Parts: sequence; structure tokens; C-alpha cells
Amino acid sequence: MPENPATRSGPGRLLVAVYALFALAATARATVQILTRFEEAPLAYLLSALAGGVYIVATVGIARADRTSHRVAAVSCTVELLGVLIIGALSLLDPAAFPDDTVWSRFGSGYFFIPLVLPVLGLLWLRHVERLGRTRVSGAVTGESS
Amino acid sequence: MIDGLTTTIQLASLAMAVWCLISAFRGQPMFVPHLIGIGVLWLLLLGQGVVSGLLMANGEQPAERVVFIGYLATVILLPPACAVWGFMERSRWGPAVIAFACFILPVLMVRLEQTWSPALA
Repeated sequence: MPENPATRSGPGRLLVAVYALFALAATARATVQILTRFEEAPLAYLLSALAGGVYIVATVGIARADRTSHRVAAVSCTVELLGVLIIGALSLLDPAAFPDDTVWSRFGSGYFFIPLVLPVLGLLWLRHVERLGRTRVSGAVTGESS
Repeated sequence: MIDGLTTTIQLASLAMAVWCLISAFRGQPMFVPHLIGIGVLWLLLLGQGVVSGLLMANGEQPAERVVFIGYLATVILLPPACAVWGFMERSRWGPAVIAFACFILPVLMVRLEQTWSPALA
């Protein structure tokens, strides 16, 4: 019986749930901020919107089972990780540039550092699934030859 | 917004989170008792929603109206989403998702409180 890679079940589903919540939180927050008080901190709000977009892509990418989706998810997780590291460092070095917080400010301390941990977990999970798929393929090949 | 109700929701949510975490560690999927717990939590949240709606209808306004309604809608949708997730994932990871949501809910309640009256921030 060929099984689908178990991305959507088990721990993967928890990851998708957390990602979905973050996608919702970041986009909703950015939308309200951009619509109501964009001029206060345009850079911070645009970054929040960008973060929201990246979270949405990552959520869909992890939730879907095919390899292309996983590659897209891996790219967006990497973008997230770079984003939280770079914006986190910048927000500490130059607080004046960020009058209002973004999801990634101070390495995501306003969100219990989940934005910092999430892309790492995402990448680890995608690598795990990738390996699972590969062993299954090679297992099937050796199974046929023996 | 009634403060006492918010505190009740937060405590109930944390209790629910711990319970679901234990279930997840013991490898149990979501069962009927979990569903009842989610239902109770949902009724409490609906109560807070109704009270807030009545207060708003009587002229008391949240400080950030749009954000408040957004947060209120999110917290009210959270328990049904938990239940759906619990049905989809018939393994220990169902309660794990519910536990995560129930840990987040008290935080969302704090934010909800702040958008109602920023003085509490």
C-alpha cells in the first residue's frame, strides 16, 4: 500500500495549525494598521503585511503534500527565518526606525518568540518529510529487486 | 466585556489546555469529554460576545472598535475550529492542536481586554 507523505497528519497538522494562526494574526493586524494609521509607521506595517503573506504561503505549502509545495514552503520558511533575524537585530540596533512593533521586532518577543522558533521547526519538519519520502522510494526499489 | 467572565474564560481555557496536553502525551485522540469542554468554553465566549454586543448597543464603545470586533470574532471561532481539527486528526495530535489553541486563547483575551479599554494595558 503506497502511503502519502505524512505531512498533513500527526505533528505536521499541529505545525499547520500554528502557522495558520500566525498567518491570520499577522495579516489581520497589518491590514488594520495599514487601513487606520499607515502614516505612523509605514515600514513596520508593510513588514507586518509581508510577514503575513509569507506565513500564508508557508501554511499552504506545508499543508499540501506534493514536493513543489514543500519547496515553496522551505523557501518561505527560510525567508521567515532571515526576516525575524534581520528585523529582530535592526529593531534592537535602530529602534527609531520601528516606531510600532512588527511580528518580527525584537526577534518576535511580543509573540513569545514563536516567530523565531516556527521557521526552524518548519524547516526541520520539511526535511523530515523529505527523508521519509526518499526512504520510502528507495525501500520500494529494493523491495522490487529482491 | 465583563472582567469576571474574562478571568473565568482564561482559567477554563488553561485548564482545558493542560487536560488536552495530558491526553496528547498519553496518546489519546479527542473524545466526547474534550468536546464537552470545548463546548463549555465556547458558551462562555459566546456569553462574552453577547454581553459586549449589548453594551455596545447601549452606547458603551470599545476604544478600538474594529480591532475589538476582529479579536472577538477570532476567539469565538477558535473553539469550533478546535473541534473540527480534533475530528480530522484522530491521533494524539488532535488534542495537541487543541492544547495549543487553549494556551493562545488567554493571551487573545488579554488583547481583547486592551482593545476594549486601553487603560488595562
